[in-house]
Amino acid sequence: MDEATAIAVILFVILFPIVMTPVIMSAGGRSDKLRNALSLLTSAVTFVLTLSLFPVVMRGDVIQLTLFEILPNLEISIRLDILSFNLGAIASFIWFLCTIYSLDYMAEEHGGDRYYPVLMFTLGSCLGIFFAGDFFTLFVFFELMSLISYILVVHEETEQALKAGYKYLVMTIIGGLALFLGIIITFELGDTVSLGVGSIIEEVTFLSFLAFACFVIGFGMKAGMFPLHVWLPDAHPVAPSPASALLSGVMLKTGAYGLFRVVFNAFSIEIMQVNNWDIILGVLAVVTTLLGSAVALTQNDIKRRLAYSSVGQMGYVLIGLSILNENALTGTMFHIFSHAIMKSCLFLAAGAIIWKTGKRQISEMGGIGREMPYTMACFSIAALAMIGIPPLNGFLSKWTLGLGALDANLTIYAVVLLISSLLNALYYLPIIVPAFFEIIGESEAAEGGSHGHNQTQVSALKLKVQDATPKMLAPLIILALCTFIFGLTPLNIPFDLSQLTTVFFLEGGIF
Amino acid sequence: MGLEQHFPALIIAILFSIAFLSPILYRWARKASAPALLVSLSLALVMAISLLIQVHQGGEIYYHMGGWEPPYGVEFKVDYFRAYMLLVVLAVSLWIMVYALKDLQHELKIGMLGWYYSLYALLVGSMAGIAMTNDLFNLFVLMEICAISACAIISIKEDRACLEASFKYLILSAMGTGCFLLGVAMLYMVTGQFNYDLVNQALPVAVEQYPNNMFAASALFIVAFGTKAALFPLHVWLPDAHASAPSPSSAMLSGIVIKIYAFALFIMFYQLFPRPLLDSIPLNEIVLWLATAGIMFGSIFAMVQVDIKKMLAYSSIGQIGYVFLGIGLDDTIALTGGFYHLLVHALMKSMLFMAAGVIIYSTGVRQIKQLAGVGQVLPVTMIAFTIGAASMIGIPGTGGLISKWYLALGALEIGRPFFVVIILASSLLNAVYYMPIVVNAFMYQEKFEHVAKPVPRQMLIPLLFGVAAIIFFGVVPGPTLDLLEYAIGLLF
Repeated sequence: MDEATAIAVILFVILFPIVMTPVIMSAGGRSDKLRNALSLLTSAVTFVLTLSLFPVVMRGDVIQLTLFEILPNLEISIRLDILSFNLGAIASFIWFLCTIYSLDYMAEEHGGDRYYPVLMFTLGSCLGIFFAGDFFTLFVFFELMSLISYILVVHEETEQALKAGYKYLVMTIIGGLALFLGIIITFELGDTVSLGVGSIIEEVTFLSFLAFACFVIGFGMKAGMFPLHVWLPDAHPVAPSPASALLSGVMLKTGAYGLFRVVFNAFSIEIMQVNNWDIILGVLAVVTTLLGSAVALTQNDIKRRLAYSSVGQMGYVLIGLSILNENALTGTMFHIFSHAIMKSCLFLAAGAIIWKTGKRQISEMGGIGREMPYTMACFSIAALAMIGIPPLNGFLSKWTLGLGALDANLTIYAVVLLISSLLNALYYLPIIVPAFFEIIGESEAAEGGSHGHNQTQVSALKLKVQDATPKMLAPLIILALCTFIFGLTPLNIPFDLSQLTTVFFLEGGIF
Repeated sequence: MGLEQHFPALIIAILFSIAFLSPILYRWARKASAPALLVSLSLALVMAISLLIQVHQGGEIYYHMGGWEPPYGVEFKVDYFRAYMLLVVLAVSLWIMVYALKDLQHELKIGMLGWYYSLYALLVGSMAGIAMTNDLFNLFVLMEICAISACAIISIKEDRACLEASFKYLILSAMGTGCFLLGVAMLYMVTGQFNYDLVNQALPVAVEQYPNNMFAASALFIVAFGTKAALFPLHVWLPDAHASAPSPSSAMLSGIVIKIYAFALFIMFYQLFPRPLLDSIPLNEIVLWLATAGIMFGSIFAMVQVDIKKMLAYSSIGQIGYVFLGIGLDDTIALTGGFYHLLVHALMKSMLFMAAGVIIYSTGVRQIKQLAGVGQVLPVTMIAFTIGAASMIGIPGTGGLISKWYLALGALEIGRPFFVVIILASSLLNAVYYMPIVVNAFMYQEKFEHVAKPVPRQMLIPLLFGVAAIIFFGVVPGPTLDLLEYAIGLLF
């Protein structure tokens, strides 16, 4: 694929979902089937085309193209490098699976005519973030995605959802304004905000620190970093499950991606380390990791627990970004992949359970594994990956991150990773174990006396397998398989990509 | 050269003559009155465009009324700024009038329409005059015409709130004009001139003898134009006046009338007072801090309002602060941002008032709480409102972002990041009071409680035009900014 084609493909994957939005919206008025088919087609085409950029990236090509200038030196531009590709590929992949899943999940929900267009629009703007060629373009798409995904958050239109949505909106706007300030200071200091230039800001002044702080606030808010995570545990669970999977699995990563760009493009590793800014990130990361995992323990609503777990997991990504050596960066990048896969799998599985049984509370989920064996199997695999059991992908990312921490003589981070894994085990295992080994209705039986006991045992044995529909199971199974395939296997493409990304950034491949 | 050279006078002449004709036309040829007004506004607009082109080709235009040279005659001057301001005034007033023709029919008693047209033309004509005049006394006269016609388009509605508000406005406005007259007298005392350029030349000598005259004059000018432009803390008249007026009047008053005075203050600072003298007094600093206070307090007051038009009015106090911020920061880039905001805010605030007008026309609801679900019955209006609100907050793709970008860049340029924080904080406050309206309008679970009348197309099309303009100035700001930057470059 030559450069011109690659540019066309990049523009296409950003614009196609956005252009399809009104088409899907108008199709929705006529036939639900047409609407669903179009949505599926859009996400599938986007996914395949994003993947088709793989050879370009593997050649080591970097594409940077200015589309037009809004103001002098302030332009709308696109960029493709290995980091953009990684994020774009995982995003469109998860989006495709979530669209398949939505087909059945949303069939009985209201407002499908609003849901699908918004889903596609967010896909386009999300890819816009990843393929943006400068901070301003990135900011434009970032705001678009954040504001439009508000509609996904409040989809249920319950009071709880609106409340969470309001919080989300306020935080998004605060984050957006902080980003705006960061970008404008960068522009003032470096006279450009292009990602085609490494370390735009070279001098350290009060202003450049302000810029750094603003970037951390803006992107950190999106990534669910402590103490700006407060919107996340409310907003992610109230959305419809496929949307939760995307919010937690993909959209959080836009924040991590932004921080990546800030560290390497707006500043540089030297500036980060000489001024101890990496420690600022590190402290925030450690608190985020431990707090997210600890609070997840106390949640009884399954989706809330998963959302808090996302907070904790994003802490890992931030830890890698604060260590800033080869292994740590590889681990961070790979954890972005892994977490996207694991967390969307978990949210989709939780969604299937809620869809089928209406149960959201973990305490009610005893025995659910017999009722929905496939769903729960996928859930368990993803949860084990979260805990970091080899050979699953979660293990690999933690291992690499841990190696990075030890390389940098920062044992403390390695300890934090271990503690957090332990906490992960503490909050995931109590979902999995009773799901398979608890007999349904045991507690009621105890109250109902011996007679009742016999009856419930009989009914438990008679319990029929009532799993989710194939369209919902397929994405789950694919994701669960991915945790295996991208684990400790000889041909682990995401891991190779992560290593290449690290090499690309550490050896100054920005230009 | 033929007719073109008389355009500065013709713009005013045509608007003032239609002001006299409108009531007569309305009585005897009712159908012709509205088109006549629209045609004369369009003619004035075309002339303004032609003036801009003339300035671009041949430099500044000086026009002497009746052929009398200054210091005896009244002089009009058109340079880039004035042509720009003229264009904004005329384009926005034409746009508002298209909307007003339909809206007024239900807001006013039927016989009053002719008078309204008359007052409207008078208001626009006087503003065009303020933009162009190069003579202090002439400016005073035009300000009086402007103030009286502005009060009259509020009180024409004849309900208690309107009368009260316009009376308040009249008193404070008269106080402002009085201050201005006093300031002019102070300058006349020491220079013996009214013409800006002549005053400008005479001041450096005069100031050596009578330094206090210029200090007093500048202070009086800040109070005078500050009152008229609702610069904090002289804004007290604005919320009542803008909220109770008929919606087109509100759009006009908030959209451009307050801007023209900010513009006049700018002209005083940059064309009347000689630069070195101005630098010896911290005038810019005073304006800067008043603007900052206005930006914050305007937004904070807006948050607690229950009436939608009142909220929009308080928001104007904050937004006019941005224009003054540009003047106060005294930097090329910041001034560009301030002037750009003048245009963008004229567009978005007028559109928001029109949208509020449509809502009130269709459903009769004014309370923000009761607006929940209004998106179900008035989708187009609420989408326009959303775009306007987004521009207020400064979402990318709207004009609001560009002006904020430039203001912030200007503040950084002169090394005062504090004002960037102020700009961002106020954006956040804007979000806090605009977003709930938008969200509740579309995301309301129950059915909208009030009955909605169908909205005539003539009211919706101006709204859509506003949406298009806001997005246009957000996506293609280049030409306008080039013009402004060039014009401001000439100042420094």
